[in-house]
Amino acid sequence: MKALVLISDGRHPVSGRPAPAATELQAIALARGLAEAVAGLHAGPDAAAARTALGHGLARLEHRHLPDGHDPLPSLIAAITAEAPNLLLAGRRAGAGAQTGVLPYRLAEALGWPLVPDVVALTVTDDVLEAIQALPKGARRRWRVKLPALVTVHPAAPAAPGFALGMARNGHLDPVPGIAAELDGPALDERPYRPRPRLIASAAAGASAAERLKAATQAAGPGGRVMVDPAPEEAAQAILDHLRALGVLKPAS
Amino acid sequence: MSRTRRDPREEREARRLAGGARPRWRLDAPPVSGRLRRDPRREAEAARVAGAARLRLDRAGRSAPVARAAEMAAMAAPTVRLVEDPAFLVAVVPDAPGGRLTPLDRQLIGAARSLADAGGGAVLVVTFGAVEGLGAAGADRGVALSEAAGGDPSARVTTLAGVLATLEPRHMLFPESAAGGDLARRLAARTGEGLFTGTETLTARLATRPAGNRRIEQRGTPPRLVALAPDAHLPHAGIPHEARVLDAPDIAPASPHAAILSVEDLPVAAEALPLAEADFVVSAGNGVSDFEMFRALARALGATPGASRMVCDAGLMPRAAQVGASGTVLEASCYVALGISGAPQHLQGVARCEHVVAVNTDLHAAMVERAGLAIIADAQQVMPALIALLKAEVEQ
Repeated sequence: MKALVLISDGRHPVSGRPAPAATELQAIALARGLAEAVAGLHAGPDAAAARTALGHGLARLEHRHLPDGHDPLPSLIAAITAEAPNLLLAGRRAGAGAQTGVLPYRLAEALGWPLVPDVVALTVTDDVLEAIQALPKGARRRWRVKLPALVTVHPAAPAAPGFALGMARNGHLDPVPGIAAELDGPALDERPYRPRPRLIASAAAGASAAERLKAATQAAGPGGRVMVDPAPEEAAQAILDHLRALGVLKPAS
Repeated sequence: MSRTRRDPREEREARRLAGGARPRWRLDAPPVSGRLRRDPRREAEAARVAGAARLRLDRAGRSAPVARAAEMAAMAAPTVRLVEDPAFLVAVVPDAPGGRLTPLDRQLIGAARSLADAGGGAVLVVTFGAVEGLGAAGADRGVALSEAAGGDPSARVTTLAGVLATLEPRHMLFPESAAGGDLARRLAARTGEGLFTGTETLTARLATRPAGNRRIEQRGTPPRLVALAPDAHLPHAGIPHEARVLDAPDIAPASPHAAILSVEDLPVAAEALPLAEADFVVSAGNGVSDFEMFRALARALGATPGASRMVCDAGLMPRAAQVGASGTVLEASCYVALGISGAPQHLQGVARCEHVVAVNTDLHAAMVERAGLAIIADAQQVMPALIALLKAEVEQ
């Protein structure tokens, strides 16, 4: 069993200093539950943030050196074919940069491996990976996938171990020249981020102030049904029928 | 300055009524002086806008013709808007779990609507299985594709790539949710098309997204695939559209990825779920005294138990179960309030819930006003009836 974790050149969300992304550290913790020695892989101009991931349990980090603004995909594929891991782990989004979260998907497509998104737990039996995917509203989904496979890690996965200086000094960094690949397509214009107000759906555009106040303070939708002093059985039936009409309860079989 | 001096005696003489034994004067006539007098009450009455729910005065004197024009427009307005010959298509792939549009799906169709209206296009909604309410949400065309067996999204991706190739929409919009964002990224990787993720503003010429831990804003013309963030665009609010059903394009059925053995949904353990994640919450207030029965009801409904501040302060439910401003602000889609009157701090916690059911003895409680279904009865008596009914259904 050989696991490889993709490490981005992250920045801390508050201080802006080099720091690995939280989900990538959680990926290291998940991988260490499956394999003894977990290696990391980073492709980019600088590995300052990726190097600190050594202190969170990576035995080795391979740094494919690339000029700034180049596509890391060919370098990553070259490194993965050389390393030949069974399992590839990545964070949900990179710790800095465009943070589109598309790279793991492009990698899985290029390698022809299955991708399991938003994983919170992993087990491997006889070359078959069982992964639990976290969905919104607390739902979970179980995937059984033949290895090799690629998974991305959800923030709800078990917390990563803390930084250990001894581990960081024992782990070693392999700098390897990468494959230069210019990104095609027009570069996006960048400017400082300006938060925009979230639009409230119930306040229709062009409504009067009185209507907007009403929409903000009262329930949306048609006026509620009120039953005054029904018999308890009648009330219970009405509640169940209402919940079934909303699709909250499964229909009675 | 000099002006002619008034002689009140002479003015009164001018008003004297002739005849009669005693002297009489006409006092209702306007004063003799040259200055006009204004009657503010009569002017306000003339400026009142007819038909408005509250008092509105139109001082410019335009009110009557405007009101008539609005009436004419209302009479002539069509009930469904048709787009017969669109210049292009804007495709939308909503999540629509269980055949219902989510709020984000409606916002997505609203965004597609404004993209289409800017250039004479039409909105095409691509769904897997039938979805209701597409026309009211603003869709011109609908295609219902057959759902692939199993939860593996790679078969859906092949079908959507076929839709992109055959129907050639100018844009294809996805919701930036767990399922929609995953599908969009898979499709972008499969087809090699550009994908604009987490879009916060979207027009035909410009799209923006946050990047670099929300320190940078990236802007550019939107590519073919766009994933829209929640609450970034208003849903369509105008008259309904046609939602004409198109035949599904002829796409070869896709086989799922050979390495994926199975994908199955696990049952949700609603009781152990944190309130912030729960989708269906049953909550107890001061009107509930039997908490064993309340927990049994929550188990029978498959809901996460919650409580009001009163109950948590009394130690009858754990503090983690408290709903409201000082507890948890819910994201649930349905909330059942048993014996909760609805203090403002509690209603803040329920503000984002889509549906509310209230059981309360007080007809004038705030929670009853908020609820879609309100039962004016004792929660202590409705609870055993609900449990008995659910038990009877299970036995059948």
